[in-house]
Amino acid sequence: MNRDTFLQQVRHAVLRGNAFQVATRDLPPSTGYVGVAGDYMDRMAREVAEVGGIPHRCEHLTAAREVLAELLRKHKPKSALSWEHPLLDELGLADVLNQAGITLLSYSSLASLPVQERRARILAADIGITSADYAIAETGTLAVCARPGQERVASLLPPVYISVIRRDQVSPDLFDLFERLDAAGLDRLPSNVTLITGPSKTGDIELYLTTGVHGPGTWHVILID
Amino acid sequence: MTTAYAKHEHHEFLAAANEALHNANLQLALSQLGDTLGQRNKAAFAALECSAELRERARAIKNATLASLDEHLATLADAVERRGGQVHFAADAEDACRIVTQIAREENVRRVVKSKSMTTEEIHLNPALEKAGIEVVETDLGEYIIQLAQQRPSHLVAPAIHMRIKEIAETLSRAAGHPLPEEPTELTAFARRALREKFATADMGITGANFAVAETGTIVVVSNEGNARLTTTLPRVHVAIVGMEKVIPKLAHLPVFLKILARAATGQKLSVYTSIISGPRRGGELDGPEKFHLVLLDNGRSRILGSPLRESLFCIRCGACLNACPVYRNIGGHAYGGVYAGPIGAVLTPLYDGLVANEHLPHASSLCGACQAACPVKIQIPQMLIQLREALHETPERHGRLERLAYRFWAASLRSGRRYRIGSWLASRTLGLAFRQQRWLKTLPGKLAGWTDERDFPAPAPRRFRDWWKKEGQA
Repeated sequence: MNRDTFLQQVRHAVLRGNAFQVATRDLPPSTGYVGVAGDYMDRMAREVAEVGGIPHRCEHLTAAREVLAELLRKHKPKSALSWEHPLLDELGLADVLNQAGITLLSYSSLASLPVQERRARILAADIGITSADYAIAETGTLAVCARPGQERVASLLPPVYISVIRRDQVSPDLFDLFERLDAAGLDRLPSNVTLITGPSKTGDIELYLTTGVHGPGTWHVILID
Repeated sequence: MTTAYAKHEHHEFLAAANEALHNANLQLALSQLGDTLGQRNKAAFAALECSAELRERARAIKNATLASLDEHLATLADAVERRGGQVHFAADAEDACRIVTQIAREENVRRVVKSKSMTTEEIHLNPALEKAGIEVVETDLGEYIIQLAQQRPSHLVAPAIHMRIKEIAETLSRAAGHPLPEEPTELTAFARRALREKFATADMGITGANFAVAETGTIVVVSNEGNARLTTTLPRVHVAIVGMEKVIPKLAHLPVFLKILARAATGQKLSVYTSIISGPRRGGELDGPEKFHLVLLDNGRSRILGSPLRESLFCIRCGACLNACPVYRNIGGHAYGGVYAGPIGAVLTPLYDGLVANEHLPHASSLCGACQAACPVKIQIPQMLIQLREALHETPERHGRLERLAYRFWAASLRSGRRYRIGSWLASRTLGLAFRQQRWLKTLPGKLAGWTDERDFPAPAPRRFRDWWKKEGQA
């Protein structure tokens, strides 16, 4: 059906339907804003654990680097699918991986590969490492935006996923996230913003909770103060 | 306008419900539902500050959006095109299937992966694509299982809730070609491996949408498993099929709905993954689809929008009313016959598929109100069921002369005080006295036996309250 006919039909329905509107109360846009009492990072760590993630609190970058190296020793990945991000640079991610003998798959190493080859490498990656654009303390959520260097697959394909975030990325409430996206300019909204709140989960077999059905089954969050 | 919405093989609700009640496996499968998902919904809303106001606000946004839906749809379509997507308008199921098949042909698609979508169930998209020689793979674990078992989903968010693990293990073992243990972790691991292969080689991903944001041309897809993310990340074409009532005007409205959706569905504060998608991948990005198509679907929705049951379009498909409903929890989803089950299904199926063909559905409710209490946008489901019952009453072919006569007699005797007094006196002197020992009638004659087959009928009191009051009440 063409657009005009379709919308015309909707228009007629709208006019008829307006006689059947329901009574509603006028409530302010901030309705339902909860926020966080106390320290954002404490709450963030608590919520991450609550949804099945593993939080690692670190006072500074050096400690975070230690934690990362330790996690890599534990999971023994051959290759790591990683974002290119200032915080990961500060952390010295490339060096940590290099010292551990782990192949780094990032934008620079993937972009030049033929599509099939690239696909094969990312599907085989053992671990994903990203930062985030924003985080929400109330729910233990990360918001990751797609852009070159911040591939969607890094937080999705590998069975183990490590996120590294810093205090200044954390907002108290889900409403704050959308305010920040709004403030950045709606016409600059990325092609994909994904909110991540936990490891991949399903309850489809007799409501029994299982992790890692499609995305990562293990989710580490390194929180840097 | 179409009636193809929920068309299904001829369905006898009463027989199906009766069969469900006597299906021991189904009863066991359903037994946990109220205590798990149902309780989690209540606990999650109780724990959220101002949740009543938030739900009221969501309701107000839906109401206001529908009041100028055509304008919001135009804004949405423009915004999607501005972001490099293509928009299609489908009047009905057939139209929508034709559009999607056409896109698949033009893009040389051989394999499609789908993330869970009730809207595509509604339009029966899978058979249409398969007829065109395209392989369709459901990727939500529950949907994958029932696709392999050649069944239909029985719940909005837990499509395989009616199956027990033994049957699931048998189904997946057939797909694996070797026996798999009756163990959720192992079965899930098998599905991950099998479906990864499908994802890696699919040409097209098809999703529905939980919401569509008009001002930014954004569709929002929520999942716990991550299959919606894979579906919208790996294949080169993404097609989203979206019922036109899913639109919300502003991005700032989204958190209002996200905060209530997961709480209502599973008691989570947020689902694990919320994908906020605005068009295809942009220059320099290494992943995401190269093409994005949005199919906006009417399929009877404009008819409902212009009717007294307009409010049913507020539904965000969370499944909370199913978990809360004593009828659903006893008979499961398949007995309802339509694509949508439970209390909201009892409203939607007659609206889309015809009232007379589904005359039992508006009666498949005790009107206890649990559905409305659980509904995150407080849809007045019991009231709508009563409206549908009234509409049925107006349908001439529905009622026997005898029933009509009985109701007329009943109404007449209630309308005057004198007739009521005479009637109640007669009842107490006849049935009341005859059954003064038993107090309950175990069997009623003729068609009335329908009542006493399942429960006893209270006999009238041998002495009316008014008589007792006159003698002893004022003492």
